[in-house]
Amino acid sequence: MALNQSPATPTIPERGQVTAGPKKKKALSQKSLERIKSLAPLAALLVLSLLIGSQNPRFFDFFNFVRIANSAAIPLVLGLGATFVILLGSVDLSVEGVLALGAVVVAILVHNDMNQNSFGWLAPLFSIIAGAAIGFLNGLIHVKARIPSFMVTLGSWFVGVGLATLILGGTNARILDPGIRDLALTRFLNFPLAVWVSIGVLVVAWLIERFTTFGRHVFAIGGGEDLAALSGIHVDRVKVMVFTLAGAFYGIGGVLAAAQLGQGNATIGDGRLFSTITAVVVGGTSLSGGSGGVLNTLVGVAIIAVLGNGMVLLGLSPDIQQAVQGVIIIIAVAASIDRQRMKFVK
Amino acid sequence: MTLKRNYREQIRGLAPLLVLVGLVLVIGVLRPGFLSWDSLVVTVANTAILFILAAGSTFVVMLGSIDLSIQAICSFASVIVAAMLPGYGYVAFPVAVAMGLVTGTVSGLFHVWLRIPSFIVTLATSGLLVSAALLFSHERAISIDEAGRARLAWVTGDFLGLPNVIWVAALVTALGIWSQKYTPFGRYSIAIGAGEPATWASGVRVNRYKVIAFAISGALAALAGVLMAGREGSGSPTLADQLLLPAIAAVIVGGTAITGGAGGIGRTAVGALIITIVRVGMTFIGVDIFAQQIVFGVVLVLAVALTIDRTKIVIVK
Amino acid sequence: MAEKAFLNLTDVSKAFAGVQALAQVCIEVRPGEVVGLVGENGAGKSTLMRILAGVYRPDSGTLLLDGRPLVLHSPREANLQGIGIVFQEQSLLPNLTVAENIYLGQEKEFSRWGVISWPALRAAAKRQLEKVQLPIDPATRTAHLSFAERQMVELAKALALEERTERHLVILLDEPTSVLEQREIDILFERVRALRNRASFVFVSHRLDEVLHISDRVYVMKDGKVVAQMPAAETNVPELHRLMVGRELHAEYYREARQREPAKSLVMQAESLTSEGAYRNVDFVLRQGEILGIAGVIGSGREALTRTLFGFLPHSGGKLTVAGKPVRLTSPDQAAALGIGYIPRERRVEGLVLALPIVPNITLASLATVMKRGAIQGSKERQLAESWVEKLRVRTPSVDALCLNLSGGNQQKVVLSKWMNARSKILIFDHPTRGLDVGAKEEVYDLMRTLSEQGMSIILTADTLEETIGLSHSILVMRDGEVTARFDASPGKKPAQVDLIRHMV
Repeated sequence: MALNQSPATPTIPERGQVTAGPKKKKALSQKSLERIKSLAPLAALLVLSLLIGSQNPRFFDFFNFVRIANSAAIPLVLGLGATFVILLGSVDLSVEGVLALGAVVVAILVHNDMNQNSFGWLAPLFSIIAGAAIGFLNGLIHVKARIPSFMVTLGSWFVGVGLATLILGGTNARILDPGIRDLALTRFLNFPLAVWVSIGVLVVAWLIERFTTFGRHVFAIGGGEDLAALSGIHVDRVKVMVFTLAGAFYGIGGVLAAAQLGQGNATIGDGRLFSTITAVVVGGTSLSGGSGGVLNTLVGVAIIAVLGNGMVLLGLSPDIQQAVQGVIIIIAVAASIDRQRMKFVK
Repeated sequence: MTLKRNYREQIRGLAPLLVLVGLVLVIGVLRPGFLSWDSLVVTVANTAILFILAAGSTFVVMLGSIDLSIQAICSFASVIVAAMLPGYGYVAFPVAVAMGLVTGTVSGLFHVWLRIPSFIVTLATSGLLVSAALLFSHERAISIDEAGRARLAWVTGDFLGLPNVIWVAALVTALGIWSQKYTPFGRYSIAIGAGEPATWASGVRVNRYKVIAFAISGALAALAGVLMAGREGSGSPTLADQLLLPAIAAVIVGGTAITGGAGGIGRTAVGALIITIVRVGMTFIGVDIFAQQIVFGVVLVLAVALTIDRTKIVIVK
Repeated sequence: MAEKAFLNLTDVSKAFAGVQALAQVCIEVRPGEVVGLVGENGAGKSTLMRILAGVYRPDSGTLLLDGRPLVLHSPREANLQGIGIVFQEQSLLPNLTVAENIYLGQEKEFSRWGVISWPALRAAAKRQLEKVQLPIDPATRTAHLSFAERQMVELAKALALEERTERHLVILLDEPTSVLEQREIDILFERVRALRNRASFVFVSHRLDEVLHISDRVYVMKDGKVVAQMPAAETNVPELHRLMVGRELHAEYYREARQREPAKSLVMQAESLTSEGAYRNVDFVLRQGEILGIAGVIGSGREALTRTLFGFLPHSGGKLTVAGKPVRLTSPDQAAALGIGYIPRERRVEGLVLALPIVPNITLASLATVMKRGAIQGSKERQLAESWVEKLRVRTPSVDALCLNLSGGNQQKVVLSKWMNARSKILIFDHPTRGLDVGAKEEVYDLMRTLSEQGMSIILTADTLEETIGLSHSILVMRDGEVTARFDASPGKKPAQVDLIRHMV
């Protein structure tokens, strides 16, 4: 987020920022450097896996792999939503709130121990709509009132948690509907349904990124917003859609979380913001926008999941998980050569 | 606060104060008991901790950055106090505050050296602290015994008829206002927030002052944690979790813009009082304490919308 | 070639914040013609191009395209009218592929219901690339291309207009050759010639020989006006030089009478100073009380050199000596501590904190001068500010006025007082009179003479050659990163502008 830019009308940048004379052939070394950088997260994942596996071969068990995939399902869905926002160069701090809202909405709408509802499979739909609605508001306020995304989403984070609490009225709603619980409990080809859902979301996200004009425009805006606007891209529209999409994904995450926990409550999202952002950044998506993507986030989520799993297998206390994540996010950001880092960082 | 502005700005600057007075009067009318001396003192005392937490963040927000680790620092400080009082006595207090100071410094250094955005750096340090707090406390709240509480008498006690926390808050306010008006740090914090390129190009060691701002944020957050441990009689790794948003809201509602150039500790005091009174008001009306978060969320966004100087941000990300 | 003009600009004017960038410019471009546009920095060529490209809107005047009035609100609209502009690779997004860049914003042609057909997009891109003989894979990420390749992609992007409209195109080429090798320049020109039946070209460049080589007619601009127009065959480079800069040097305007011989002692010295990719082997000395002017066009390296001297861009090779001690300036605070001050080009961004009043801006670089026992003395600070405002005649209702509300000239004076209060010994003036009216400029010149008389040394990167010559004691000329000439500019012995231009372009 680089505020305080030159207060002039956005124009095509002045030439002359290009250096003269002896500069012709730097493209080559830059390309190989970029190559290395883009493979680094994958390499890190492999190295990490090998390290853990060497200390405890049970890491390579098939059922351990299932465990890892299961623990990665929700972070993946959340991370995919956040990826699009970060690709724009923005930030979304509302993950936890929207997830809580989604979880609570599904919990009270299906057959539960708090009320008489029993909407069955319609309920997750409402979660997604609720999430999308908050995301939509995030985007709208961000573009119309021109408030930085981190402020708007900081506010909606707590709005989400608040709404979740309000709906529950101070109690918890235990889910009795077997269908929803199945998401977490039933397996298909050995993997819980939640994992398949996350894979489905991954495929959708990837298709959007690769094959839709919307997806390409997200990259364009992240790469150079004024240029994108001058080329006729509806920047505001794209931004609102991105936040809405992210909200919808967080809503899905909420459904999965509620299924996993067996209930919906307002604190179900606690701590997830941090791991979501860590996963996206560690996977290689640049915070200044325009580079990275869905597959990067897949690798990043895998790294976080493997890390968590590894710590258990190696007998390390789960308490230090956040500390480890803190360290790796710092390393990941520090190591990335970001355009943003050349400007004034806030 | 020290730099005069033209009339329109001056009125805008007074708005939070006017809102505060207005709120007090409105609630006073609805519940006359509210305006009694005792009741007002309680309100101010309840605000004190939130204010100290927010005061630290004021300088960070004036720079245009954000500190998302204050609640983690606050909680961890309470854990340190609760854990160390039995064995180490009074030394627990400076240790706790030192922890905050060091954490803030580390965040600041990573932010300026590695050029990592403040929200990430402080998220990371908060992660580290949460882990530290969990390990230290073995994941549970630690209650403070009789002997410990005796040592915390300076927090829970009174002086000249006012709870000590109010005196501490007053001291912080005075120091804060003084440093803003009279120290280079105070001057440069405003300058960096309002125009970092110009400040940088004037030969000011911007990085140094940024680190100082984060260090102060950490130290005050830790102080708030010490006070909380005193008031709650225990320390826990999640003690301050619900305080992040109100603290930031206090800073912004008080009138410190994230675009810099305006604001300060005095304003944050007004903002903190407004937040507390809004809370009081909502409790009177019967709004659930968690649901109050919704109101704060909306208030925060509104406050930013009103205080931000949009001419300074060309591309909003 | 038909006689009737295809593109007509009549009395087009444009002003920015009080500075007249274009004044009643009349230009016409006939179908299939290549029109060259030359002029000094600040002559108005860029502004004109940007108006044609839809980036700016003119304040007054009319544009006619093929007889119809033309009003453009964005580059996109210009594109739809068949007008394309080729910048120096700055309008490509490095993180996207070449194909995406060529068709940025136009993806609808290749997509159904929002889904892109990559094969179709790539095939179309390939066709455009073939037009400029660039044999690269359209799926390449733009960041991986060399500068020259990116330039050709820019050209391909402009030429892609061909497919989108039946109309005759107008292609604007803005300094397209400065990053190209000769072979690539030849391809560019050959392509331009081949497209005559489809497009007219406007070619802006400071490389006058190239302009004459490719153009049919040439317009010369100066100070926002068109001063001459002729067929390319009927003119030559020296004449163009004369037309571009021919102006009476008013010795009084630059207070030449006050120019004194500087002292012998050196305050700054550079030996083989090099910054990778920007400039190399720069030597100069700066004597006490001297004004050293650095002349050069954009891309000559003088901007980077100026930034190096204030710590924004540490040099990578050679030696820089300040006050007798070798240094490597890695940050502005280090430079300021050595007694160097910087009057920046971007006054509103780097010179002043606009949202703050005059008082804190004046002491921003020297807060210690108003501090006692660790505390800022508010009243002393105010008095100090008032005395500077009086000394420099800053026109303001009070010292508490926000700098935002001052005029450009007064803002510049506040910037100057900041460094004068800091007792800087070396001042770097980076485009100091940009955006100032004549009266304000003269005040700045007066101040510079005063400073020089008081023993302050000045490094000047001026807006115009005229200023450089008029104000400086010595002049350094740079081109493509190297020093190409040195001139003594003592009063009475001032070099002519044509002498300098020869070494600049």
